[in-house]
Amino acid sequence: MSKTETSGTSPQKDDLRIGVYVCHCGLNIAGSVDCEAVAKFAAALPHVVVAKDNRYTCSDQGQELIKKDIKEQKLNRVVVASCSPRLHEPTFRRACEEAGLNQYLFEMANIREHCSWVHLYEKDAGTQKAKDLVRMAVAKVSLLEPQEEIVVPITQKALVIGGGVAGIQAALDLADTGYKVYLVEKEPSIGGRMAQIDKTFPTMDCSICILAPKMSDAGRHPNIDLFTNSEVKEVKGYIGNFRVKVARKPRYVTKDCSACGECVKVCPVVAPNEFDVGLATRHAIYTPFAQAVPSTYMIDRNICLNKENVIVCDKCIKACERKAVDFNMKPETLELDVGTIIVATGADVFDPAKLAQYGYTKHPNVITSLEFERLINAGGPSGGRLIRPSDMKIPEAVAFVQCVGSRSDNGNLYCSNVCCMNTIKDALLIKEHWPDTKIYVYYVDIRAFGKGFEDLYQRARKEGVLFVRGLPTEVIENKKTHDLWLTGENTLLHEVYKTKVGMVILSTGLQPRQDSDSVQRLCVLSRTPDGFFMEAHPKLRPVDAPTGGVFLAGCAESPKDIKDSVTQASAAAARAGILMAKGKVTLEAITSQLDPNKCTGCQLCAKVCPYNAITPLPERKKVELIEAACSGCGTCSAECPFNAITMRHFTDAQLFAQIDAATSADADKKIVAFCCNWCSYAGADFAGVSRMQYPTNVRIIRTMCSGRVASKFVEHAFARGAAAVLVAGCHIGDCHYINANHQTKKRVERLWQKMDRLGLDKNRLQLAWISAAEGEKFASKIKEMQSTVEKVLPEELQKSAKMAERG
Amino acid sequence: MNELLPNTYNPRMMIERIYHSPKEALKDPALWLCAWCYRCYRHCPQKVKLPEILLEIRKIAKKQGKLNGFEQALKLISEEIAFPASFEAICLHPERAELKLPTKGPDQNATSKKRKTRAKPEGETHTEKVAVIGAGPAGLTAAYELAKKGYPVTVYEASSHAGGMLRKCIPEFRLPKSVVDAEIEQIKRTGVQIQTGTTLGKDLSFGDLWQKGYKAVFISVGAHKTRKLGAEGESLKGVFDALDFLKLANEKENVDVGKRVVVIGGGNVAIDSARTAIRSGAKEATILYRRSLEEMPANPYEIKEAEHEGVKISFLAAPKRILGQDGHVSGVECVKMQLGEPDETGRRSPKPIEGSEFTVSADSVILAIGEAPDISFLPKEVEATENNTVAVDPFSVITSQPGVFAGGDCVSGPATVIEAIIAGKKAASCIDQYLRGEKPQEAEQVLEEREKA
Repeated sequence: MSKTETSGTSPQKDDLRIGVYVCHCGLNIAGSVDCEAVAKFAAALPHVVVAKDNRYTCSDQGQELIKKDIKEQKLNRVVVASCSPRLHEPTFRRACEEAGLNQYLFEMANIREHCSWVHLYEKDAGTQKAKDLVRMAVAKVSLLEPQEEIVVPITQKALVIGGGVAGIQAALDLADTGYKVYLVEKEPSIGGRMAQIDKTFPTMDCSICILAPKMSDAGRHPNIDLFTNSEVKEVKGYIGNFRVKVARKPRYVTKDCSACGECVKVCPVVAPNEFDVGLATRHAIYTPFAQAVPSTYMIDRNICLNKENVIVCDKCIKACERKAVDFNMKPETLELDVGTIIVATGADVFDPAKLAQYGYTKHPNVITSLEFERLINAGGPSGGRLIRPSDMKIPEAVAFVQCVGSRSDNGNLYCSNVCCMNTIKDALLIKEHWPDTKIYVYYVDIRAFGKGFEDLYQRARKEGVLFVRGLPTEVIENKKTHDLWLTGENTLLHEVYKTKVGMVILSTGLQPRQDSDSVQRLCVLSRTPDGFFMEAHPKLRPVDAPTGGVFLAGCAESPKDIKDSVTQASAAAARAGILMAKGKVTLEAITSQLDPNKCTGCQLCAKVCPYNAITPLPERKKVELIEAACSGCGTCSAECPFNAITMRHFTDAQLFAQIDAATSADADKKIVAFCCNWCSYAGADFAGVSRMQYPTNVRIIRTMCSGRVASKFVEHAFARGAAAVLVAGCHIGDCHYINANHQTKKRVERLWQKMDRLGLDKNRLQLAWISAAEGEKFASKIKEMQSTVEKVLPEELQKSAKMAERG
Repeated sequence: MNELLPNTYNPRMMIERIYHSPKEALKDPALWLCAWCYRCYRHCPQKVKLPEILLEIRKIAKKQGKLNGFEQALKLISEEIAFPASFEAICLHPERAELKLPTKGPDQNATSKKRKTRAKPEGETHTEKVAVIGAGPAGLTAAYELAKKGYPVTVYEASSHAGGMLRKCIPEFRLPKSVVDAEIEQIKRTGVQIQTGTTLGKDLSFGDLWQKGYKAVFISVGAHKTRKLGAEGESLKGVFDALDFLKLANEKENVDVGKRVVVIGGGNVAIDSARTAIRSGAKEATILYRRSLEEMPANPYEIKEAEHEGVKISFLAAPKRILGQDGHVSGVECVKMQLGEPDETGRRSPKPIEGSEFTVSADSVILAIGEAPDISFLPKEVEATENNTVAVDPFSVITSQPGVFAGGDCVSGPATVIEAIIAGKKAASCIDQYLRGEKPQEAEQVLEEREKA
């Protein structure tokens, strides 16, 4: 790893020359904070040599002023008191660099979103608060060190996990760009769900016809190594430098296989065919479907009569002219080095058997939409004839039931995106072949949102498909004829309907793959509450996973149709391509640093690191920090009982200094709040943007993650006489650093126990999960804590000094 | 209730109306028609507790003095139902309990308004005789409706008094038997003949019915057999079948249940048994149910009332065996359960946790684990389902033998009074259609007619 050339030195305490700039921001700040007074106040703080106030510090003029002062006044630290650092920290950091000052020697005091905008009518108190915030910023900046950003090289190879249409598309795009791609697929063939469907909406194209060319391209592409019947077993490393282990299960048929199929004819064993969703059978030696890529057959040893090394049945060996059957093939483990990973593992289908009212698996003529696809597919088990499982006759009337397993507490709460259009397409397919069939679609809403979707819906209505708004309560079967009665309310007519049909098709939803837990652990992914993998930002980074170098595509990220899967796959390929094209990546210098002398190898840090960036070295009784994999949450540092880990730019000393500055006067009236950069600090910003007013006594200290907030910080704040402390982070499950906030929760709970033991009022320590959009929640919390602050007794504050004592 | 009064009561529309036009909702008689059967809750994927929501709105209506809707609802009920007072006592009980609203007693039924609707119909009279087996709510409703339409109806009842579960097992404190008596008198005034003390299969056979000239038969024998636990100690003294226990209590026989009573089961019968036990002198009544509160089939409102009265409910506990001393019950050995995969009813099936046995001491044990109909008297032409209930077409209520219809608990398994009433009404209209020679309307035809229009 190389280090960039840096500017700026780390001066001694006496050499500190700090410049403070208090911004008016027009009247945004100056309207409710006396900026001149704040600047005057700043001038008197230790080591401050320049203290100015100006109208618009972020403007070109404002930046020029700072740059001039850095050069002429030989400033080696800069504080700007203005808006939220989430807005302009990069701007001012760049200005510092341009003037020759290391950008990590810069700090901001948020006196707009956190002060002037939320205390519009309390100028005195607001100005006092602004002074405190400036004091805190100056205290921190005095202890900041220059940092070097690390540059790591990137392996220019990609791994695509999952060979459905999304995986195939991503692999092709990356391969066409010139990168080597490893495409790993669990099943014996690529193709995924798209290979199983009959036609696609809204064009009514034959699905496998449009997919097969892509599949063979992927199979033949010189830049793509295709590993089917394989699973990813281990992923180690970090962005640009992943080491992946892939387990290849043997097919027991060599590449000499010409796919002639003679072996299948003689195989005596029969089993349900997974591709046909159990509606048809296959043999022990088989190919999943006719257009499988690779076309090599394989043997399912679970059902094959030959166990272990004993050959009792050699029919396929004898039948194969090319001598391609080899029972001695062994599993292989491959070790691959890649720079980026694209997760395209797809989705599973909801199993409606648990919804007893629909009678799936009880009534033979109730089927799922996937089973329908196989039945109506010309290459499927019934040759494309839609037949009733009970008597193999073609039904005269069918009913589709929508939202099965979606949008309800009975299944999944989310909408599965594709089922409405899928049903419309299915209804049209039936009408195409058997125009006299009566078709009823029982729905709650029809979601025909995409291009060409509304047209298809109208077409279906014109063809006479009856859409009834009101799901059936029950599917009742006539035990003799196996006809089905559906009864429910037609909510548009306010009437109860009783309809008799020959077949019911349950439009089942999609849900996260059952084995997605293992993929999640392997690639250190988060999940959203619906169980699908979480994207880094739902609007602005929809295909990036929060972990650097990992991207998402297709239904692994959320249910979607083929067009959106392909779009996302190309997007993921482009994003991966950006990384790999540069050949190297610069990592922000907010990472952890280990002092090996203090480390005892207790591994508490390794247990909590959400990114597996800490490797235990038990033989040496130490751990190793992989800086490049570190995202800077700070949880390890907060957990370490030996203070062996320093968080760059958010050191213990810097945080203590800020707490001290916040509590230097009138601590008994103040709330010291620790807010995480991504959620709660942003939430407080949002409260400011929305001009929500709340009491003036809170002083916010920013950390990157709430996991950084060690117990000692809270204890110190109490020991300094703070009336109350608020620890605020992202909602559980939404933590920007995957799950670091779980540690925050545990720590606060232990602190509450300690407060109980010391006889302190637990209400003085509050824990809040506040998202970036929950400005209201932040404001309410501060208002709520006001009564606690007002009621604090002097005896209570005296007792609080004990908080900082060990025990 | 929606089946009963489809044009007036639509529970889903009530929710919409409460949202969109709450003032209208407060005045609407539909607000007062929910009969607390909780079927909606059991089927709802969002588990909306509609009856309790409506109760809260009713409280608001009462506070604002908007009780016209209530009056109208009572009027509708008395027009549609054969025994409105009994129905109100059981199904509109929360209104009386929480809102302290008067519901009409039997004397009020005898007012001139009621007499009009209960007089012999001036309309057509038919000659086809109809037999009803079982004088419970389903049978009596069917009889009443058919009599109103002009058919001669005879109801055969095995026990000595008519009323079915209304008389036999629903406790006196929920439904005074004097009310039941008065209402049955009213029904008799329409010309319905009730022959008590006649058991089908003993005093009379099915074949005899046809010989006597009946053209249609409605089977509504209810579900009066208690399921057996199949555990050791069931034959000890002090172990009661819930239905027997409730019957004795209703007949004012003092049943000695001792001080501590354990009731096994989770349905309305279990709740009734526990509450009756307390009124029979027990100091403690504990209900053991093998699943959790969510799966408990009893009416949630009744569960709350029972808990208010001091009944303890132990969830996820199932009896292993009943312990005895000197031939008398001394306690129940139970095992803790945990919920596993859902069974065919969709409810999670309980599995015992090994080694978690515990004992509850008891002076008597009441078994309320389910009731089943006794349909052994049926000829083989009338088929039964695999659950041993009478198999009927869900829409035309006809059994596998033409002319024979069935409804109520003997078809659905144990259910609520309102469901039995609906079954009776439906049967009456289907029997009427059948006797006129009309084919029951198939839904398909209805839709076809609509399409042509």
